[in-house]
Amino acid sequence: MSDTTGTTDLREQVDEADDGAAQILDHRYRPYSGARHGLGGAMRAVIGSSFRFTLGFGRPARHKFLPWLAVVVALVPAIVFVGIATVLDIDLISENILPEYHQYYGFIEAALFFFCGIVVPEILVADRRNGMLPMYLATPLRLWSYLASKAAAVAATLAVITVGPLLFLLVAYTIEGSGPAGPGNWLIVLVRILGSGIAIAATIAAASLAISSLTDRRAFAVIGVILLLLGSQLVTSVLVEVAEMDPRIYAFNLAEMGEALKDRIFGVGPPMLGEDESSPGQRISELSTLFVVAVNVAWVAAGGAVLWWRYRRIEASQ
Amino acid sequence: MSVAAAQESVIVSTAALTQRFGSTVAIDALDVRIRPGITGLVGANGAGKTTLLSALLGLRPPTSGSATVLGLDPRSQGAALRAKVGFAPERDLLPDEMRAVDFVRHLSQVRGLPRSEARTRASDSLWLVGLGEERTRTLGTMSTGQRQRVKLAQAIASDPELVLLDEPTSGLDPTQRSEMLTLIGEISNEYSVSVVLSSHLLEEVERVCDYIVALDAGRLIADGPIEELVGDGDGITLELVDIAEPAGTVDVVESTLRRGGIEVERVGTTLRLGGVGPDELSDRARDAVADAGARIRRLEARRRTLADLFEASAV
Repeated sequence: MSDTTGTTDLREQVDEADDGAAQILDHRYRPYSGARHGLGGAMRAVIGSSFRFTLGFGRPARHKFLPWLAVVVALVPAIVFVGIATVLDIDLISENILPEYHQYYGFIEAALFFFCGIVVPEILVADRRNGMLPMYLATPLRLWSYLASKAAAVAATLAVITVGPLLFLLVAYTIEGSGPAGPGNWLIVLVRILGSGIAIAATIAAASLAISSLTDRRAFAVIGVILLLLGSQLVTSVLVEVAEMDPRIYAFNLAEMGEALKDRIFGVGPPMLGEDESSPGQRISELSTLFVVAVNVAWVAAGGAVLWWRYRRIEASQ
Repeated sequence: MSVAAAQESVIVSTAALTQRFGSTVAIDALDVRIRPGITGLVGANGAGKTTLLSALLGLRPPTSGSATVLGLDPRSQGAALRAKVGFAPERDLLPDEMRAVDFVRHLSQVRGLPRSEARTRASDSLWLVGLGEERTRTLGTMSTGQRQRVKLAQAIASDPELVLLDEPTSGLDPTQRSEMLTLIGEISNEYSVSVVLSSHLLEEVERVCDYIVALDAGRLIADGPIEELVGDGDGITLELVDIAEPAGTVDVVESTLRRGGIEVERVGTTLRLGGVGPDELSDRARDAVADAGARIRRLEARRRTLADLFEASAV
């Protein structure tokens, strides 16, 4: 007997089972009286699911390609440097042959922009497009907890790029013998890597999510994020470095502000990046640390405000 | 049943619940009480069914009035409430790339189940709704009927005390609709899950529901057990054959019955009779027909339907 609907009356099944044919009569569905994880569990589920979604886990191969390309682009230089350090038996960092930890962000930047532009918008846009948003809002999640979960997932995914390669470098340099001297210095570098990586991820995640909330079209979101990251960099650099305007204009340069915060966390200034003081971005060193921190906090707050405003409107229309 | 026991058995109640959108009144001072079992929330499109479900889930604070669902206030205890309530929206929007089992598992986790339990129950729920063999298929490859079943599976997977289903038969053909209604009835009866089922199709609500809440333009027009609202009415319908010889028999029967104090409502050759008990009505109708030499095409007890409720409210 085929029970394609699973709804056949049990008595009929028993009658047929008496005819001699073996039957599975257990629907298996049972009442549940075990633990429930509440709002925390709901947020963890969304964070985990969004993290895996962003990296393409459980999705067709075409969705895995771009995020993992970004991860590879961010990680390959680190692997090459570790290889060089292993082959050449000298202190390559002290000899300025290999980059220090904070200098590695120059190699990450392209991957970070690529990741933010192409991958991050999907994390919000998809839920609005495929009906998951109203599904989520009919669970213990509220709008704030949904958005907080999404933001945490984006920040965690970005941290794979901003923190992952540097942690790899730290561990590999340490094993190779070029790492920080002593446990104290090692911990300081670790905290700086985590702090700067999370700070950059938070700032860029907030801006990317805010732009992604403004449109249901992934392509528009991608263009918006790329314009914000690259366009603001180009315009502010021209205004400050070429037109020699007030360097506080860099406050509108999301990427440079993240970089500047990273430099302050590592306790270095832009001249360390290159001795040529006329190179673009050098006038950021004129900005106070307080200003840099405040601008980054403002970017996160502004992104969060746009996100909240936009989703309040979307929620009302559901 | 004592008053206290009756109050305890109420799982949803609203008091003067009102929801306005600008100048539009979607729900107008609604007072309803829903008891365990299957309740049909019935009304035309735009009657306020979905708005009421949203208010009961705490998704939208009401303009005024209050509601209690499973003893909780949706406004202040929405998160705790939604952990105990399953919901399947009307919209046929699902993540096409997701496998059915992953979709149900994920929403079960979001409703608070541990990961391993969510995985098991997702599979069990899909078996229950008849998609056991299809559970690893992506949602985008499923038919409308299968997707409706997936929505039902995700609503019940976390073992809710109450399930709110918004137009669960939307987009289904008659066979699929029948199967879905059977399934909903079985879930409620076998697993003691109360169901509030919104629909604009009166016949399907009559078929499966124990209680009715009928809305029209945001107003409550009827609520109560279905056997009190539909079923045998207090009159009979007498349809006569319009014959040439003798002529005017329908008029004669009508006037005879009217003279005898029977309430008569005539539409063509059909007389709807009331005013006395059904047995006496039948006897006197039969006698009047015989005396007039008329011929009966149909004589039946009048049955109230949900459609009558809406017709009566429109008058």
